[in-house]
Amino acid sequence: MTRKLLTGNGAAAWGARLALTDYIPAFPITPQTEIIEDLSIWIDKGEMDARMVTLESEHSMITAAGSAASSGVRVFTATSSQGLLHGMEMVYTVAGWRTPFVMINVSRGMSSPITLESDHNDIMAARDSGFLQIHCATCQEITDSVLMAYRLAEHKEIRVPAIVNLDGFYLSFTREPVDLPDAEKAAAFVGEFDPENLQFKGSAPLSQAMAVLGGGPYSYFRYEAHLAVQHALSVYDEIADEFADTFGRRYDIIDNYQMDDAEYVFVMLGSFATKAHNAVDSLRKAGWKVGLARLRIFRPFPKEKIRQLLKGRRAVAVIDQNISMGMGGVLHSEFATALYGMKDAPAVLASFIGGLGGRDISQQEFFEMINEIKQASDKGESLEPRLLYTENELTEIRKLQAIAHAEHEEIHQQRDG
Amino acid sequence: MIEGTPVHFHRMKDMPSSHLLGTGTPMCAGCGGLETLHNMYDILGEKTVFVNAAGCMTLLSVYPFTPFRGGWLYTSMASAPAGAQGVRDAMDIMIKKKKLPEDENMEVVVVTGDGSAYGMGMSATSGAMDRNLNFIYLCYDNEGYGNTGQQYSAATPHAAITSTSKGSHGYPGFKKDLFSIWAAHHPAYVATIIGAEPLDLAKKIEKLQGMTGPRMLISLAPCPTGWDYDPQLSVEIGHLAVQTGVWPLKEYINGKVTHTKIPKQRKPVEEYLKLQGRFKHLFYPQRDEQGIAEIQARIDAYWDNVTE
Amino acid sequence: MFRIRFHGRGGQGMKTASRILGTAFFIEGYEVQDAPRYGAERRGAPIFAYVRADKVAVNERGIISHPDLVVVSDDTLVGMPAAGVMQGIDQNTVLLINSHETADTWQQRLNTQAKIIILPAQEEIEDRAELPYIGSQCAAAAAALSHVISKQTFTQALTEELQHLGDEVVKQNLAVASTAFDAMAPHSGIVKESALPSATDYIKPEWIELPFEKAEISAPAIHSGATSVKVRTGLWRTMRPVINYEKCSGCWWICSTYCPDGAINVTDDKLPDIDYDHCKGCLVCVAQCPPHAIESIPEHIAKEKELAGAKS
Repeated sequence: MTRKLLTGNGAAAWGARLALTDYIPAFPITPQTEIIEDLSIWIDKGEMDARMVTLESEHSMITAAGSAASSGVRVFTATSSQGLLHGMEMVYTVAGWRTPFVMINVSRGMSSPITLESDHNDIMAARDSGFLQIHCATCQEITDSVLMAYRLAEHKEIRVPAIVNLDGFYLSFTREPVDLPDAEKAAAFVGEFDPENLQFKGSAPLSQAMAVLGGGPYSYFRYEAHLAVQHALSVYDEIADEFADTFGRRYDIIDNYQMDDAEYVFVMLGSFATKAHNAVDSLRKAGWKVGLARLRIFRPFPKEKIRQLLKGRRAVAVIDQNISMGMGGVLHSEFATALYGMKDAPAVLASFIGGLGGRDISQQEFFEMINEIKQASDKGESLEPRLLYTENELTEIRKLQAIAHAEHEEIHQQRDG
Repeated sequence: MIEGTPVHFHRMKDMPSSHLLGTGTPMCAGCGGLETLHNMYDILGEKTVFVNAAGCMTLLSVYPFTPFRGGWLYTSMASAPAGAQGVRDAMDIMIKKKKLPEDENMEVVVVTGDGSAYGMGMSATSGAMDRNLNFIYLCYDNEGYGNTGQQYSAATPHAAITSTSKGSHGYPGFKKDLFSIWAAHHPAYVATIIGAEPLDLAKKIEKLQGMTGPRMLISLAPCPTGWDYDPQLSVEIGHLAVQTGVWPLKEYINGKVTHTKIPKQRKPVEEYLKLQGRFKHLFYPQRDEQGIAEIQARIDAYWDNVTE
Repeated sequence: MFRIRFHGRGGQGMKTASRILGTAFFIEGYEVQDAPRYGAERRGAPIFAYVRADKVAVNERGIISHPDLVVVSDDTLVGMPAAGVMQGIDQNTVLLINSHETADTWQQRLNTQAKIIILPAQEEIEDRAELPYIGSQCAAAAAALSHVISKQTFTQALTEELQHLGDEVVKQNLAVASTAFDAMAPHSGIVKESALPSATDYIKPEWIELPFEKAEISAPAIHSGATSVKVRTGLWRTMRPVINYEKCSGCWWICSTYCPDGAINVTDDKLPDIDYDHCKGCLVCVAQCPPHAIESIPEHIAKEKELAGAKS
């Protein structure tokens, strides 16, 4: 095992290399591009026995990923934000083929307005597609999750593609120490891909991915895919145990920190959870019983585990780095669904939307979220959803609007005054 | 064509007399596209993976019914050539890594309608040719979005009535020259074919089988439903498309375009037009001399420049 | 509520029939739904369309499972399970068949409790895919049977719906529709409106837990070749090509190669053989055969001959 400094993108590329990926359909997009650059260099040097092809779009890239996996090879691909959405027709389509491969999504906010920086609206758009989703908080977790994602996706009872998600910039371009798994052990852990009877070959007639007529057959195929995705929860622990035995690192479906006696809980996805981790430490020092529950596996959604975990807690702050227009935070809705009707459910399930387009969440904001949910819980009140946004940020946008000549009374005053 | 490959299809009698493609498909009676496909499949054989884009032929395989004896994969309207890329690459990798015996190899064939080939799928097609993908591409061109009820597409000919060009003069645009667009990519092979000329078709399929790289085919696909004529006229209309010069049969190899069947005495285009309801307005209630002459002039201008 | 289903072949105008009837009900002050059933239908293939009409808002949607009236434009469809003509028919249903045969014959043949009425077939035409005016006739007959649509209203509805085809077409359709309307006079009112399903006495849906199955079973994939031959597209055929082997020159490639469906194969004797289970009746072979050795005959006549041959 080698410990070295790797960016999140570098860690993702190492995951693909260690998993002995055969085929990489690619398309460049910031902040993902470094992944395919690393892989192409390794292939050119002969360090990796794989073929990489740059397609002319992500839509084509995901098509080629699915069709290659349907022809028996182990496939890896990567994209981000606009690319993921450009390929979204095929994200849904290839999942329905029941064809396993691993795709990295480097999370980046969606246009419009266009941005290069990170949030989770891109990956949320793939929520209902039939892909498994693993969300990472560290570079180490990225390499490890790619290996585990192949095991899950290729599991005979599952056979759906998987997305390993990492945050743009905060992970993609950030170097951290990573213990690189030993190549032989990684190869043994991932094993050979067995395409079973879903592989084109000259001797076996096989029509894949055809039309159906009528709602009965359609419902069957769609629901079976749903059951397969759900089944990943049942086989996950076995794979995680084996991973822990082999590599000494344990990853659970929900990554819990200081949850044993926690009365107040942060719930979130992705790399900002390490910030929350620090906030929990500071709040604990200040005498608060606070914990952090980071969802690693977002699809399938671990509803039962969430219910057990949050039973009897006083208040929960759900932090969404995404926004469903006209509804609010997606994670918050899903937690509300999971907890609805449960006896001893937390009385306060508050929604905070933060980190849109790479906006940071400060430690003080973490502290204040806990303060707000505690007060609401003490008073027996609920909390309105809140966007994490400061007065200073509004002042800054006013300055920009003044330059942009946006018509607004307050701005006129500012400009004229 | 690779030197020394024997040509098997000298005469019509050389055409296969039993057919590989399963019957019982939901294509319309008299479908010109199906006529091309089944003749092509007889020659290519069952070790073929068809990668399909959304169009009429998507309905060839409707669970649990398929007419194919080898492979079929439906992708999307825009990305069938990319689907072919994945299948081709995967098979090459598997063979190289000795995970698939060579005799399990299959030819990869994209099948799309003109809606995909001339429009939404063009970027993916161009990309596949850029990458010199070793595949065959068949566009069955029925000159409109047929599966949705024949709205005009970039393949619709001038003056044709479609369900989105019902005005008194039909479609105002002109059919896009996909052959030239494809040839400009310098792929291994580009050819036009038609089901009504099975020998020409067979010779071309046989020729491209001896090649590697992108091998591109556009088949005019007379369409009783979309063009509004009696299904039994499908082959007759196909013959007339060739005899009037509306559909030049040609091929592109190594930078050179050769016409494979030059009509000695071109018939007037109206013989082709008048059989089809979509051009009825050129003849009823009164003859549109100018409209017919314009169409004829464009055909004449094309052939004026043809020397071989 | 009236629930009326029209069955026919692609090209016979069942969608038009449902629209004419829908408009007629609408003019009479009814709330209406009319719709064709789309799918992979092609010319000659069995299709259907339906109409619902009520004095209150129509909240039912989708395919009519228990029709009050079923209208069949082409009697060759009645016995064809794939056409679904008999689906949901019970003793309260009226079955109107466009046929040369009598109601008694059909009653015996179908062994059904439904009331059968015959819409006397107009003069026979060769190709039933081109039955002229049949959509208008069916709509007119259905309107008359309902007893709530006046002839004047029906005329107005038909005119509205066919106006875009020109005055001459409207006139011809009105003429035959009028005859059909009048022919149904003795049965006027036989079609009764039926109520909404009862919520007090109903058959429980047989819900099950969908079993979770491995991908190798539950992926949408077909692991066999040419399974499409199980689909008998020969049922679409309204005209049958018949080879006169005395005239056949044994060229053997023309009909076989040109048949779009590949439904003509060559026998060991080097003679073509038409697969009638799958021939869709496009008649390309008839048009292309050099010695004109293939003729076309109406499918229903070919069927009758077959039956007669089987009996003798």
